[in-house]
Amino acid sequence: MNEKKTSSLNPPSKEELPSTLTNFQRKEYRKIDFLLIAAGFLLITPILSVHRVTDFMIFCIFAMSFDLLYGYMGRLSFGHMLFLGTGAYSCGLFIKYVSGNPLIAILVGIAVAGLLGILLGLIIVRTTGACFALINLAFNHIGFFLVLSPLREITRGEDGFGVSASKLGFLNFSSRPIMFGSVLLCLLLVFYLLKRLTSSPFGIMIRSIKEDETRVRFLGYNTFLYKWITFVLAGSLAGLAGTLSALNYNYVNPNSMDVHSNVGVVFACLIGGAGNLYGALVGGVVYMVISNFLPIYIHRWEMFLGFSLLIITFRFRKGICGYLLGLWEHGAKKRLIERSAEQGVAKI
Amino acid sequence: MPEILAAEGLSKHFGGLIAVNKVNLSIKKGEVAGIIGPNGSGKTTFFNLLSGFFPPTEGRMFLFGEEITHMPPYQRVMKGMVRTFQLVSVFNSMSVWENLVLSGIRFKERYTSARKFFFLSTKDDEIQENCLKALRLVGLESHASTLTSELSYGSKRLLEIGIALSLNPKLLLLDEPLSGLSDVEISEVLNLLHRIKSDLTLVIIEHKLSKIVNLVDRLCVMNEGHIICEGNPNHVLCDPSVRECYWGKEEIDQGLLQEKASA
Repeated sequence: MNEKKTSSLNPPSKEELPSTLTNFQRKEYRKIDFLLIAAGFLLITPILSVHRVTDFMIFCIFAMSFDLLYGYMGRLSFGHMLFLGTGAYSCGLFIKYVSGNPLIAILVGIAVAGLLGILLGLIIVRTTGACFALINLAFNHIGFFLVLSPLREITRGEDGFGVSASKLGFLNFSSRPIMFGSVLLCLLLVFYLLKRLTSSPFGIMIRSIKEDETRVRFLGYNTFLYKWITFVLAGSLAGLAGTLSALNYNYVNPNSMDVHSNVGVVFACLIGGAGNLYGALVGGVVYMVISNFLPIYIHRWEMFLGFSLLIITFRFRKGICGYLLGLWEHGAKKRLIERSAEQGVAKI
Repeated sequence: MPEILAAEGLSKHFGGLIAVNKVNLSIKKGEVAGIIGPNGSGKTTFFNLLSGFFPPTEGRMFLFGEEITHMPPYQRVMKGMVRTFQLVSVFNSMSVWENLVLSGIRFKERYTSARKFFFLSTKDDEIQENCLKALRLVGLESHASTLTSELSYGSKRLLEIGIALSLNPKLLLLDEPLSGLSDVEISEVLNLLHRIKSDLTLVIIEHKLSKIVNLVDRLCVMNEGHIICEGNPNHVLCDPSVRECYWGKEEIDQGLLQEKASA
């Protein structure tokens, strides 16, 4: 009975097995993924506007960094905006007080966010579940009030300050198409980096930590280190998104560190499908479309976010991408069963 | 024979409850030791102490002559002590071969370098070959790309042992490897254990006494946190105090008869 089940549900014979494994091999770094993503964003540009799509892409970078933490490592953070804000502020302050070079400013933004991740990670990463979410929230609040009042002298408090990066040859970030191109490039780079990371042993490591951290410790790994690395990585990438948004708006204000904006990124990950980079991209775009256009037609548009979240949690647990992927896999499995059944008949 | 693992006066208190009470135990290289005892006698707690799941209240532990009392679990694994869990713990959301990636590369330095660990695809031929080799050992190679949650409980148990074995342990602690399995699955696991026992040192916790009597060289009986008897299996089974705590006074003779018959 058991054997029969095996042969119908799984790749049938032992000799075929290595080839079934290598069949998946080509799935990994398809160039077409990058083309599709770029084409997708380019296609929606004429419908919306260049500035808006740039904003969407920045949010997608942020959503992917959040997905690394939440979707892959299973640590829900309610304070991820802290790193976005840190990136935005350090980039803005660097341009304002030190030098107008935008590339160095971006690097500074990433570095400061990463450094903050290193320091806070030492404390935050030790916790899990609700505790993790709330400690992040607490630090986010601290950051928010820090830029709002004690550091008012340099951050200009609620008013924020303008950021005008100087030109670097053709790299003029105040030109919309150049900004669009650079952000798209950053998005593709981040996507590539995360794709590589999540399909390496490290990817398996963080997914294992999500499922059962104790077990990973008994495989001989110091899980703290890997959680820390993931946290710092997610923080730095959020910092990158922050620097880009500062350059895109030419403006930094405390909104970039607003605790409430965390809802957006959690929502984006859920709607697209957590634990899936395409999910973060799709979710990011869907969320941005909703939050940009729904308010024009409906006054209390957040209510619809609530409703759709209900639908997602009850009907589409794995989000849009997860659902579509599930359908596709279901179909593939069905075909496999049919094929092996045919073969079985032929053999008999 | 050299001593691999030694526990000296190991105790664990949970509030007022003394789960493990001043246990002394030494495991010699190459032997198969069984730890038996009724429910709640502290067997699993003792294992948790040995593997570093939590620290002991008092006492010390030595692995290969080196003190490991306060060593975190992952370092103990690096020293060659690997354990399995009473409730099967495998990663259900991944496919079977992915379960073996982390353990398979743990002791391969060329893979634990940062560049490889973070950026090498797990579809790499050598990693895959590693996983398949480990799966072949436990007879699960035909399930390599199945989702782990679709495996039967027995197969998951085999997979868990496979994961432990792919860490190249010198000392393997098995926590009730036969619990919850059907007879066929039990014989599969026992076959596997018989095959591997010549290469490493095994410590097995088990309820199903009759099944492991032929496997173990030495039997320790725990009751209420103490080791009440240890030695040759046949000798231990005839010990009156063991029979009393295990079967109760009334059923002594019947129990022994059944035991002999099934052995």
